[in-house]
Amino acid sequence: MEEFFNNIKESFKEATLEFETINIKIDSTEWIDVHKKLRDEFNLKFFSWLSAIDWDNEVSVGEAPKESVSPSFEIITCLSDLDNTNLVTVSTSISKSEPNINSLIDVYAGANWHEREAYEMFGINFENHPNLEKLYLPDGYEGNPMLKSFELISREVKPWPGDVDVEGMPEESESDGSVDG
Amino acid sequence: MVNALDPQNMNRFSEASVSVEIETEDMTLNIGPQHPSTHGVLRLVAKVDGEKVHDVKPVLGYMHRGYEKLAEVRSYPQITTLVNRIDWVAGFSNEIPFIAGAERLMEIEVPERAKHIRLILTEMARISSHFVFNGAYALEVGALTPIFYAMEDRERVLDLIESVTGGRFHPNFNRIGGVKPAAGAGPTSKKNIQDLPAGFYRDTKVAMEKVIQAADQFQNLIGGNEVFKKRTKNVGVLTAETAEAYGVSGPILRASGVKSDLRTQTDYLPYDQFDYDIPVGENGDCYDRWDVRVKEMVESAKIVLQAIDSMPSGPLQAKVPKVIKVPQGRTYVRAENPKGEMGYYIVSDGGLGPYRLKVRTASFSNVSILPIMLEGALLPDLIAIMGSLDFVLGDVDR
Repeated sequence: MEEFFNNIKESFKEATLEFETINIKIDSTEWIDVHKKLRDEFNLKFFSWLSAIDWDNEVSVGEAPKESVSPSFEIITCLSDLDNTNLVTVSTSISKSEPNINSLIDVYAGANWHEREAYEMFGINFENHPNLEKLYLPDGYEGNPMLKSFELISREVKPWPGDVDVEGMPEESESDGSVDG
Repeated sequence: MVNALDPQNMNRFSEASVSVEIETEDMTLNIGPQHPSTHGVLRLVAKVDGEKVHDVKPVLGYMHRGYEKLAEVRSYPQITTLVNRIDWVAGFSNEIPFIAGAERLMEIEVPERAKHIRLILTEMARISSHFVFNGAYALEVGALTPIFYAMEDRERVLDLIESVTGGRFHPNFNRIGGVKPAAGAGPTSKKNIQDLPAGFYRDTKVAMEKVIQAADQFQNLIGGNEVFKKRTKNVGVLTAETAEAYGVSGPILRASGVKSDLRTQTDYLPYDQFDYDIPVGENGDCYDRWDVRVKEMVESAKIVLQAIDSMPSGPLQAKVPKVIKVPQGRTYVRAENPKGEMGYYIVSDGGLGPYRLKVRTASFSNVSILPIMLEGALLPDLIAIMGSLDFVLGDVDR
């Protein structure tokens, strides 16, 4: 793992190693080339997954980021080699106004469904994808549910009962700062 | 007038018929979503030319519950309840990578005893999942008997899981920092927590011996069956190259000859303390995929038996804060689930719940190979191939 990380460092200076995972941040223009290189030169032939994160300061669900972020989509792929020793995530940022990125299908055929999922859930356009259709959602569905601005309708109708649970447990008589389960 | 049914004339007619070009049209065949062999609600739209299948399009989404979205409005302890329901045939093993991810970010060291209990239950979940596969797959290729044996044998394992966790399919047993006291453990006090129910070791030993016997029985009953061999050998051959590009993992990848098992890389469960083999296939056909899983059941039973013997004593829970807040950071934790690589990519912003939770499930990638594998296959083989992938729709759609 250490040796592999050093090899990666030679090609990608800004790679970081955290929790036994190597993270590489790249520019979206290099998206295809970097993956080709990782597949052919670093033997990362196993395509695990592709997904996206919607970074935004104004959110309708969950909690907003504590520190202000510049609104963007972060696209992440996770690659590994077959004996599973090395795990690499590659990420890039694209703008929300023009969410376009090249499709990885020619490099990893398995990216097909993952890209379709990211397309319907985030509205990201994967260029040169042969079949960019909705994967899960019905045909007439409007909106991209995984966007932070997309509200959960049931939450609007009825406040979340779970809110009560996360307010902290009532104090116990023999409090030692821990819970047993 | 020539009588076509007269045996003397039969030859003449059959020869005549081959020379005539008949225009055929592809027929579109819709399979599912309510087809019993699809393990849920997978729909396939296939074009068939006579008996030949081509251009298969899987239609997903009938079981899509949007866990990734739901996770954004829930706290970490609440998400455990959700992830139980992803692959419901092996509910317990879904919890582990998620909990391990949160523990990793919080830098919690889990007590050894809790790790052992987690490992035992994970392997039991694997055994029960493979029992379902064994019975269901035999059923799909035309043998009715094995599923009755498989369900009976699985029940023994589910009883054990239930005796510890209180749930057969959705244990919801893991807590961040350890496991909760066992369901059948009786009254608990803070100083002296009982964990495993009385007689658990004895019952487990009996059940695991039965699992090993059952696997042997399946090898004879199903594996030795000529019809089963004819239906599965050299059917649906998957090469390792195709499998890896599509992210196909687990027993399917191993059946294609790749010795890839995430248990060897796992640091949050003590697999390195036990001896077990990783069964690998040779041809990557349906028979190998079946064979690898039967052998895996035996290996899992061996792991459980070893874990029972070497069970450490100690606490069940590490000290954790009353309100779980996971520090800012991100991590991807993956585990070898019965169906392949399952992982959670947790992006935490320091709040009560994750900012983003990506769920990587094994069946999703495993099913994405279907259009490739079914191209040019015969219609009866369609069910044989589909069944050999052993997917669960909850694991595909999430």
